[in-house]
Amino acid sequence: MDRTAPAIEITGLHKSYGGFQALRGIDLTVARGERVVVCGPSGSGKSTMIRCINQLEEHDSGTIRVLGTVLDGRLASLDEIRREVGMVFQQFNLFPHMTVLENCTLAPMLVRRLPRAEAEATAMRFLEKVRIPEQAQKYPAQLSGGQQQRVAIARALCMEPQIMLFDEPTSALDPEMIAEVLDVMVTLAQEGMTMVCVTHEMGFARKVADRVIFMDRGEIIEAAPPGQFFSAPQNDRTRQFLSQVLGH
Amino acid sequence: MARLLSFPGTRRQRELALQAVFLSALAALVLGAALTARERLAAQGLTSGFGFLRKATGWEINFALLPTTTADPYWWYLLSGLVNTLFMGAVGLSGAFALGLLVGLMRSGRNPAARLLGTLYVELFRNLPIILQLFFWYAVATALPNPRQSIEIGGALVNARGIYLPGPEIGRGIAALSALAILAGAGLAVGILAARRFRRAAPLRRQSLAALSLAAGFAVAAGLALAFRDPATPWITHPRAEGLRITGGWRIQPEFYALALTIITYGAAYVGEIVRGGLKAVPRGQIEAAAALGLTAWQRFSRVTMPLAFRAMLPMLANQSVWLMKATTLGIAVGFSDFFMVVAGSINHSGQTLELIGILMAGFLAINLTLAALMNRLDRALSLEGSSMRPRR
Repeated sequence: MDRTAPAIEITGLHKSYGGFQALRGIDLTVARGERVVVCGPSGSGKSTMIRCINQLEEHDSGTIRVLGTVLDGRLASLDEIRREVGMVFQQFNLFPHMTVLENCTLAPMLVRRLPRAEAEATAMRFLEKVRIPEQAQKYPAQLSGGQQQRVAIARALCMEPQIMLFDEPTSALDPEMIAEVLDVMVTLAQEGMTMVCVTHEMGFARKVADRVIFMDRGEIIEAAPPGQFFSAPQNDRTRQFLSQVLGH
Repeated sequence: MARLLSFPGTRRQRELALQAVFLSALAALVLGAALTARERLAAQGLTSGFGFLRKATGWEINFALLPTTTADPYWWYLLSGLVNTLFMGAVGLSGAFALGLLVGLMRSGRNPAARLLGTLYVELFRNLPIILQLFFWYAVATALPNPRQSIEIGGALVNARGIYLPGPEIGRGIAALSALAILAGAGLAVGILAARRFRRAAPLRRQSLAALSLAAGFAVAAGLALAFRDPATPWITHPRAEGLRITGGWRIQPEFYALALTIITYGAAYVGEIVRGGLKAVPRGQIEAAAALGLTAWQRFSRVTMPLAFRAMLPMLANQSVWLMKATTLGIAVGFSDFFMVVAGSINHSGQTLELIGILMAGFLAINLTLAALMNRLDRALSLEGSSMRPRR
């Protein structure tokens, strides 16, 4: 793994489902330590793009380089990348048959081959970080949505990844639980984690993003630092989207 | 008119009164039937009661795990039939589950050839009547060459009289006891893994405890075989053909393996569909989360997909197990001495129809209620904590 390469380099990325072109020529470089927020209307390809980065979706053409390793379909490179890239999903996707602690220790023990005691110590450290260490012995269905999403973040962090991907992490949450999840994400961003975050939380984007990217119909329309992105958007479609999201 | 129909008192009192009327009518009906039956039987000179159970039978059964002779009383024969049924059930169910798992995985996989094969299998075995399949396998088994021209496969002899396997020379009763010990050890192991009481124990301790009980089962079985084997014979005797006679080794009768094969192949078609349904019921998101964490395909399958799929399958597997257990009564069609056939034979020879049918029903109720209770217990032990699908206790 190349220590100096950018975190993520995407060039000419294409992906279609049957006749529908989900991504048409994405170029994006994310530096190490950079926080990127991706927004855009639904169906614009945000989720597809982020899911290509850890190959939950296979791309049709173009190159994706993560931490210097090209994702060329070989299992070895895939395993190497997934170990270093954590992901948080809209629907939390915790394992319902395992306790919170078991959710957090599964991958470190199986993939990183940590001994149980060490994996549990790491898990407790991250559960404290997301402020729910007291729930460690509970099962996911016994927790609220906000708590589940915080466990999901802790579970990803337990692999000590270099990059974190967030795919609409607050979209399935009740309004009063959004803040507790965003707080955790802000802390993470302030600690220098490389983050790519698909979200409609513009307040979060303003606060922590180094760059905001606007996507529409499978293309990146505009990319700018949040100050410029929100006050002086260059493209009509960006302006229209922002007026819809911020207008009320 | 409306006044006539209205019932004085509260709704609860009216419901109780209705229940009482219904129950007394039912009791009167059952009592009347029993009295009439007794009167008619007495008129025909038939004695009722269970005294016949202690009489010697005087007829033979062709397959028995327990040692049986014609001098044995009826109760021993019935017990022997019950043991045969349980043995057939254990072989048939475990075979059907194993083959069904394979078929279900083939149908759920990505390989088009395997999927086609799985589909063909299910459509063929699910859509032919089970009795036809039994007659087919029995016809195949009995159409094999006669003992003189036995087919030899790696020390085993195959002919129309059965399959002869090499094995240690031990008595049938000891073999049955050994099998029971292994079964008990395996059952205890599953119990330890599933029981909530052991859940708080560290998983490693739980696994080693389960392994220990499994090993203990095998150890007891081996000990029994060692202690009771005939020291004059070699460790393993191979079947040898001496003209039409075959000596040594273990014989598996056509009646037994034709029925076992039928239950396994027919059951596997249904179990395969249950497995496929269970795999489909696992949310995609959980498998994706496991992939995103870097788990390999096998780790995703064994730690996430299968544990969740198995929970979805359990209620249907319980249903299928009870169904297959009842299907063992088909043994009578080819002459396998299961519980049903022994009861039928006993009715023929003793004439105690009502008593024997009562015993038959009680036996099957006991088997299937126990089986269902065990599966339900497993289901409850594995149910997801905090989920709304979890039954209350």
